[in-house]
Amino acid sequence: MTRFNEMFQLQTASGNPLTVGDVTLTPQSQALIVRWPAGGFVWNRPAAILVERGGQTERMPIVDVTRIVQLGLLGFSWVFSIVVFIKLTRRKE
Amino acid sequence: MSHMFSNLAQSLDKRQEQSLEVMGKLFGAAQPGAVYGEPVVSGNYTVIPACEVAGGGGFGFGGGFGPAPAPTAGETPDKGEPQSQRPVSGGGGTGGGGGSTGRPVAVIIIGPEGVAVRPVVDVTKITLAFLTAWGAMLMMLGKMRRAGGG
Repeated sequence: MTRFNEMFQLQTASGNPLTVGDVTLTPQSQALIVRWPAGGFVWNRPAAILVERGGQTERMPIVDVTRIVQLGLLGFSWVFSIVVFIKLTRRKE
Repeated sequence: MSHMFSNLAQSLDKRQEQSLEVMGKLFGAAQPGAVYGEPVVSGNYTVIPACEVAGGGGFGFGGGFGPAPAPTAGETPDKGEPQSQRPVSGGGGTGGGGGSTGRPVAVIIIGPEGVAVRPVVDVTKITLAFLTAWGAMLMMLGKMRRAGGG
């Protein structure tokens, strides 16, 4: 398990805060890091923005609309294919 | 011969260090600074782009040394030749590769109205995914019709 944790890491990190007017923004990102002895792979995406104003902090998530639509279409086509496959199998019986 | 071997070992060590340095830069893409761009100020508005990045790479290196091939038929080995001057075989090599990709995800806008996160919608990618999904579904439908008709 330790070795698995060394190879695969999912980490959420906060970047340097940025102050604009009376608002302080702290960006957050989420990264998947895969390491193997002779190489590695990194996938990093913006996760959220922490907005601090007047002593109050609000977390605004960053939504990847394009990815959601892509995954939705992929999932729909998979479900459709499974349904068709089941119907085909039942017809053969 | 030992001189050649040590040269090869040094060369491999140097390549390994360089490869590790490159891999270190690769893992630097895991930091928040890699996905958020520099703020752009225009009038009362500040815009910060946010993107998704992915990258990977690998490397390999190796080397070897061995005795010289045995003399072929017809060749007479020079018995007077000192051991240190007899020919030896050796070789080494390094290689590596990698790639990266980036895609805008959203834009953070700071203005008089407050802070807003606006997603970036890639119409091209969505259209391609839509066409691919529909193509796959039509293929399955065609298969089902042929199976029903046959």
